[in-house]
Amino acid sequence: MKRLINLVVNGESHEVAVSPEQTLLEVLREELGLTGTKKGCNQGECGACTVLVDGKPVSSCLVLAVSVNGKSVSTIEGLSQDGRLHPLQEAFVKYGAIQCGFCTPGMLLAAKYLLENRPKPSEQEIKEAINGNICRCTGYVKIVEAISAVAQGAAL
Amino acid sequence: MAEYTVVGKGLPRIDGPEKATGRAVFTVDLKLPGMLHGKILRSPHPHARIISIDSSAAEKLPGVKAVITGKDISAVRYAFVDTPRYPADERPLAVDKVRYIGDEVAAVAAVSEAVAEEALALIKVQYEVLPAAFTPEEAVMPGAPVIHENTLEGTSAWEDWGAAGRAGDYRDEVDINNASARSAISFGDIGEGFRQADHIREDRFETAATAHCALEPHAAVASYDPVNGKLDLWLSTMGIFLKRFVLSKALKLPISKVRVRHSYVGGAFGGKIDVFPYEFCAAYLSMKLGRPVKFELDREEVFTTTRQRHPITVNIKTGVKKDGTIVAQDIKVYADNGGYRGSGAIVVFLCHGFSFPIYKVPNYRYEGIAVYTNNPIRGPQRGHGAPQIRFAIDSQLDLLARDIGLDPVEMMLKNVRHKGDILPNGDRLTRCGLTEAIKGASEGVNWAAGRRQFVSGAGTGIKVATAAKGSGKDGTRFRRGVGISVCSMFSGAMYYPFASAAMVKLHDDGSATLFTGSQELGQGCYTTLAQVAAEELGIGLEDIRLVAGDTELTPIDLGSFLSGGALVTGNAVKLAAADARRQLLEVAAEILEVRVEELGYKDKQIYVRENPAKSIPYGRAIQASIFRKNGNPIIGSGSYKGYPETDRYPSLAKGKGLFTSAYGFAAQAVEVEVDTLTGKVRVLRAATFHDCGFPLNKTIVEGQVQGCVSMGMGQALSEEIVLEKGQLFNASFLNYRLPIATDTPETLDDVVESLEPNGPFGAKEVGEGSVAGMLAAVANAVHDAVGVRIYSTPITPEKVLSALEG
Ligand code: FES
Ligand code: FES
Repeated sequence: MKRLINLVVNGESHEVAVSPEQTLLEVLREELGLTGTKKGCNQGECGACTVLVDGKPVSSCLVLAVSVNGKSVSTIEGLSQDGRLHPLQEAFVKYGAIQCGFCTPGMLLAAKYLLENRPKPSEQEIKEAINGNICRCTGYVKIVEAISAVAQGAAL
Repeated sequence: MAEYTVVGKGLPRIDGPEKATGRAVFTVDLKLPGMLHGKILRSPHPHARIISIDSSAAEKLPGVKAVITGKDISAVRYAFVDTPRYPADERPLAVDKVRYIGDEVAAVAAVSEAVAEEALALIKVQYEVLPAAFTPEEAVMPGAPVIHENTLEGTSAWEDWGAAGRAGDYRDEVDINNASARSAISFGDIGEGFRQADHIREDRFETAATAHCALEPHAAVASYDPVNGKLDLWLSTMGIFLKRFVLSKALKLPISKVRVRHSYVGGAFGGKIDVFPYEFCAAYLSMKLGRPVKFELDREEVFTTTRQRHPITVNIKTGVKKDGTIVAQDIKVYADNGGYRGSGAIVVFLCHGFSFPIYKVPNYRYEGIAVYTNNPIRGPQRGHGAPQIRFAIDSQLDLLARDIGLDPVEMMLKNVRHKGDILPNGDRLTRCGLTEAIKGASEGVNWAAGRRQFVSGAGTGIKVATAAKGSGKDGTRFRRGVGISVCSMFSGAMYYPFASAAMVKLHDDGSATLFTGSQELGQGCYTTLAQVAAEELGIGLEDIRLVAGDTELTPIDLGSFLSGGALVTGNAVKLAAADARRQLLEVAAEILEVRVEELGYKDKQIYVRENPAKSIPYGRAIQASIFRKNGNPIIGSGSYKGYPETDRYPSLAKGKGLFTSAYGFAAQAVEVEVDTLTGKVRVLRAATFHDCGFPLNKTIVEGQVQGCVSMGMGQALSEEIVLEKGQLFNASFLNYRLPIATDTPETLDDVVESLEPNGPFGAKEVGEGSVAGMLAAVANAVHDAVGVRIYSTPITPEKVLSALEG
C-alpha cells in the first residue's frame, strides 16, 4: 500500500506516494528524477548516496522514504545556487578532486556537513569525515586538499 | 623546451562542473519512455550440466514481458580474446553447462526490477552437479574435471578483422589438462647464464584475485527501433568501438546499425572492457520486444561476475654476479582465469610484455600458463599482469640484494635498461626514464636514512656488508622500513580497432569542436585531448567543445584500455587539429596575400610575421573560407595507428612481433610502519616517479598516479577476493577492504619528463603503470622494517604476525 509523504527537497516541497519498502534513494532518483544522488552499493557501504536529512548526512539507500516524511533533504542538485557553484564544488573542480565523478555528489555533501560543523578541521578530521565515502579513482589526496582549501578560505 | 600555452598546465577538467553538480549522466541514470528492466538468473553451482529449464511460471507472472535462455541464442559466442588459436568460449547464457557460481543461465525483462527479480525465483532449472576444480594445481592434474570440452564453430574476431596469423588450435601444442593458453618466450642461453652466476635464488610468489571496485555498477540500456532496424546502446564501457563490433556480430546486425551512445562511466580500471552477458541480453530483449531494456547489476553481481584480477603463482629463479648484475632469469607463471578464458591468454603474455622492458636480462626463459578453474572469470585490471609479475621479480631482487650485501637501489640501477635499448622483440626504447625515476623515488622516502638493511646472506659464500644500525627503534613496538619497485606499461598496442581517428571542426567565432571516439571514465581524456587540440590550433581550452564517446558521431578510436589514450588518440587529435590549422592558414594567406610560411598565429589572430599589424582574426578567416571555398567551413581530420611502424600483431603465444611504440615507466618507493604486536602494516609515505614522457595536464597526471598508488597499496595490504569452493565470500565493500580516506599515505609524485618523440608533445602512458610497483615496494619495506619476507599478497596482519613468530 502506498502512502503519501511530504518531502522538502532542496527547499522545494513534494508530495510523493511511496511504498513502505522504498528507500529515500529510490524516491529521489526514480520518483523525483534527482539522479545526482548515486547508488554505488545499495547496502550502506560506499557513501555515494549521501544526502543531508535535516542537515545531517545519511546513506539514503538505508533510509526508508516513509521515515523522512516532513523532513528536509539536501541533495547535490541544491548545492549550487543561481548557477553559481558552491565553494566546495569550485574547489573540487579546481584541485582535481573529481575523476569519474561518481563519488563526488556524496563526497561534497559529507564535506559540506563537516565544514558547517567544524569550520577549521585538521587534515585527520577531514579524512575521518569522508571515511564513509569510497573513492576508487583519486586515492583521496586531492579531495582532502580541496576540502582543506575551502576550510582555509583559499581564494578559489 | 618549447613554450606551451595549454598543454602541460594543470587546467581544471572540462567535465568537472557537470560532475560536481550532479548533472553528469551515467548509464545507471538513464530512463527512457516505456523502458523495461532486466535481471539475470545465475548458476548456484561451480560446475554443472543443465538438464532442463522450465520458465513457464515466470513467463505467466504479470508484468513479465520475456524470458530467454541459452536455447534461444545458442549460436552466439564471443570473448575478449577471439583468435583462431584461442576461439571465444563465452556465451551470453549457458547452453550446456555452467562453469562458475554466477554463470548466466536465463534473463528476464519485466516492467520493474522487482517483478523481474520475482520472475527469476519462478524459473526452474534442473542441474546435474559435476566435480569441480578450484585451483590451477587441481585443474591441471590428470583426471581433473574437464571444464571446456567442446570444439567451437564459426570464425574468430581476428579472422573477421583480417588480422589473424596462421596459428592453429592451441590445444594441439599445449597438452595440459584445462590449460586455456600458454606463452613461451626465451632469449639467450638459460643454462649458460646460470653457469655464469655467482649466486642463484629460487622463490615462489603468489598474488590474490582482486576486484576493480569502480563505483558505478555495470549497467546497459538498449533501445531498438524496429522500423529502422537500428539499435541504440548506452553501456559501461572503455571502448565503444570494440563493444560495437562484438555486439553487432553477436546480434547479427550490420555494424552501422548498432550505435553506442555517450554516457559517463563511473570508473572502470579494466573491468568494463569485456562484453558482458547483461549487455547482450539488454540488446537482444530490446530487439525482441521493441522496447528499451535496462540492466543494472547489483554490487554483489559486480564483484562476482564482471571480472577480477588474475590470481597468479610465479616461480622464479634468478642468477646474479657478485656485483648484482643479473645473468639469467627463469620464470614460470600460472594464472587462474576462472570458468572462461577471459583475458587469460593476454595476462600470461603481459606478465612478460609489461616486465621485460625493465631489466636487461641476457639469458631469459619465460613460460606463462593460464588455466581454467570453476572460479569467477578473470579479466583485465589496471596493469593487467604487471602488479603480479613485478611483485615477484622485485621482491626477489630485494632478497638477492640482501643475499649478496648490495643496496637494492644500486642493484636496480645496475640492471635497468636505458634510452636507445632495443628490446629482444625489436621494440626500441626511444626514451627511458627508469634511472631518474629510481633515484627520485628512493630519495622521496629518504632511502639512505630510512633503510634498516636487514640482510640474509646466509650460505651464499659471499661476504655480506654488516647491517647498518637500525633507526634506533629496535625493541619498540612500531618499526619502520623502506622498499622500492619499478614497473612499465605499454602506450597502446595493436588491438581492435588498431587505430584512432579524430576530427576538428572550426566555427565562425574562432572556436572549435573536437570529435573523438574516446570515452571518459574518469581518466580525464576529454580534457587532455581538448588541450592537445587547443594547443595545436592556438586557441584556449575554453574555446573547445567536445563530441565524444558515440560511435555514430565520432570516428573510430582505440578505446581507453592498453593505455593508448594519450599517445594514440592524442596523436590523432593533434594531427586533426594541425590539419584544420593548415587549412585556416591557407585561407588567411590568400586574404592577406602572402605565403603561408610568412604567417604566425597567436590569441586567435593570424598575422604576417614581418608586419604583425597585418592580421586577421580566426573567426574572419573561417567565415572567409566558407565564402571562398564553396562553403568549406574547415574540418580537419587525423588518424594514428596503435603502432605506426608495424603491421605485425604481437603473438600472444610466442611473444614475437612489436608490442608498443612507447613504454611508460615508473619507480615507486614506500616507507611503512609495522606494528609488531598486531602485524598491521601502514604505508606512511609513498613516492612515485612516473616517466610519462610529458604531462599533458599536470593535475590529471597526478590524479592518475595517486589513484594507482591507492589501488596498489590496497592490493598490497588488504584487498583479496575470498573464495571457498567457488563461492565468493566478500562481495561487498564492507568485507572487501579497499583503501578509505584515513588509509591515505603522504604521497609524493613527480614525473620524469623524457619527452617521447612518438607522443603528442612528448606524452605517453600514465594511467595504469604505477599500481604495479606498490606490491613489491610494500613487501620489501616490511622486510626492511621487521626482517621477515611475505611471499604472497595481500600482506595481512595474520601473515606478518605468523612470519614474526615463525
Ligand atoms: S549506495 Fe548507499 S552507501 Fe552505497
Ligand atoms: S572520482 Fe571516481 S570514485 Fe571518486
